[in-house]
Amino acid sequence: MTATFAILKRELLTYFVSPLAYVFLGVFLFLAGVFFYLGIALTGEASLRVMMGNVSISLMFVLPMLTMRHFAEEQKTGTFEMLMTSPVSPVAILVGKWLASLTLCLLMLLGTGLFVAILAYYGEPDWGVIATSYLGLFLTCGVFCAGGLFASSLTDDQVAAGMGGIVLLMPLWLVGSASSLVGEEWQARLDHLALLPHLRSFTKGVIDTADLSYFALLTFGFLFLTFRTLESRRWR
Amino acid sequence: MIEVEHLTKRYGAFTAIEDVSFSVPKGHVLGFIGPNGAGKTTTMRVLTGFLPATEGRAVVAGFDVFEDPVEVKRRVGYLPETPPLYRELTVGEYLRFCAELRDLPRADRLRRVGEVMERVGLRGWERRVLGTLSKGYRQRVGLAQALLHNPPVLILDEPTSGLDPAQNVGVRELIAGLAGDHTIILSTHILPEVEALCAQVVLINKGKIAASGTMEAVRAQAAPAYYRVSLHAAGVEPAAVARAVGALAEVKVVQPDGEALRVESEPGVDPRPAIASMAVGRGWGVSGLERTIPTLEEAFLSIVGREGA
Repeated sequence: MTATFAILKRELLTYFVSPLAYVFLGVFLFLAGVFFYLGIALTGEASLRVMMGNVSISLMFVLPMLTMRHFAEEQKTGTFEMLMTSPVSPVAILVGKWLASLTLCLLMLLGTGLFVAILAYYGEPDWGVIATSYLGLFLTCGVFCAGGLFASSLTDDQVAAGMGGIVLLMPLWLVGSASSLVGEEWQARLDHLALLPHLRSFTKGVIDTADLSYFALLTFGFLFLTFRTLESRRWR
Repeated sequence: MIEVEHLTKRYGAFTAIEDVSFSVPKGHVLGFIGPNGAGKTTTMRVLTGFLPATEGRAVVAGFDVFEDPVEVKRRVGYLPETPPLYRELTVGEYLRFCAELRDLPRADRLRRVGEVMERVGLRGWERRVLGTLSKGYRQRVGLAQALLHNPPVLILDEPTSGLDPAQNVGVRELIAGLAGDHTIILSTHILPEVEALCAQVVLINKGKIAASGTMEAVRAQAAPAYYRVSLHAAGVEPAAVARAVGALAEVKVVQPDGEALRVESEPGVDPRPAIASMAVGRGWGVSGLERTIPTLEEAFLSIVGREGA
């Protein structure tokens, strides 16, 4: 527990003493702002529905860039050796890093509060829907961070880890885009696998255990794979 | 304190170390020497619990490395070949992180960080960013990290690589000061350093132990002691003097060595009395009969061969 917290703190410190956190917050808020404007301009609704969908896809590309260094860099600089020779379990290391990237996601989402304030000033948004939308987006971040960490644990090259993370996460999006091509029976099945339909329930104000399980399963799945990779790195 | 029995580590078809056994009593300093790629780092990584061995057993500070790795890790301070530093942190931030990672009691953390900084000569360097430090200072921070939890066992992989001579002496004195309270394994390329610090030596070559034991034993094992003999025989050819010495039963090999003769004998046989009485009997002067023990460097080269040097 102390170790997880120590690693979380160290990662956050690293984010904020380097330009990393500021670049991410800036880029993310810029993209979110563009999607917010387009969403309002196209639909005329006082909602975040359009923004949420587009933001989730941009996160698919942005978050692996955030998580790519987590293990890849430690492997390269040798600090991984220190972590693994400390009396700390790989799970504590992994969870600390995942929570650190999730904390930055939380700050990124908090930044979009500005858009909610604008909605509230000019229109009458449905607060319940906004709350569930944010929950959905946060859970999406959890999945993407876990997937990005997994990619990072596979290599000691940061760029490969970043690109690998994107390639790893893209099927979650593509499977949904492709589902309309394969006939009705398969479309339903593929939509269950795709991420956006599950996120869509949240942006409609619905919290379904099926959707919650989907996000939980993917997150734990990726974290588990990362754990196995860390364990197995020692054997190679 | 450290018992290593028949340790073997293979990476696929490549055998990094094979059947390595040695032990280090409490408070001793073991010098771990060998050419690059001999398996020193692999052995150290196995002992710290970073790598599992393919075969064999290792007990460190009373715990089996493979059965109780966490207990072993609590009792070992490890300085890897490259100091494991986060370049963007300051010295203070980094050491406080290590203290938390090591789960030192909250009340002790700052005090311990201060103590180890003092000990390795980093006083006043707390706010310096690690990425801007010179190699010598990085090495000190790495050492500080290894000492934080006051471990009974220290495993130091080339602690003096890249240091200037003054820093070298500093680190050597630091290690000498740590011996006694700590059991230390030290790998290095600098053989005089081993001679200065270590009572015991393990020489590893191509993954296998080539020689081990006390400093004297390793030197003797590598290249037997020889004798420098200087005789003065007026009017006698040097070759004839050499023949006369070589004719003695106690002498095995005689070679000219400048003005003197280099004499080798069977192990355990001292040819000096026989040479002296023979010389005196013939009325020759004797100005030197010295026993010469090969240096560790000579021992190293005679075992490893010169191809790696």
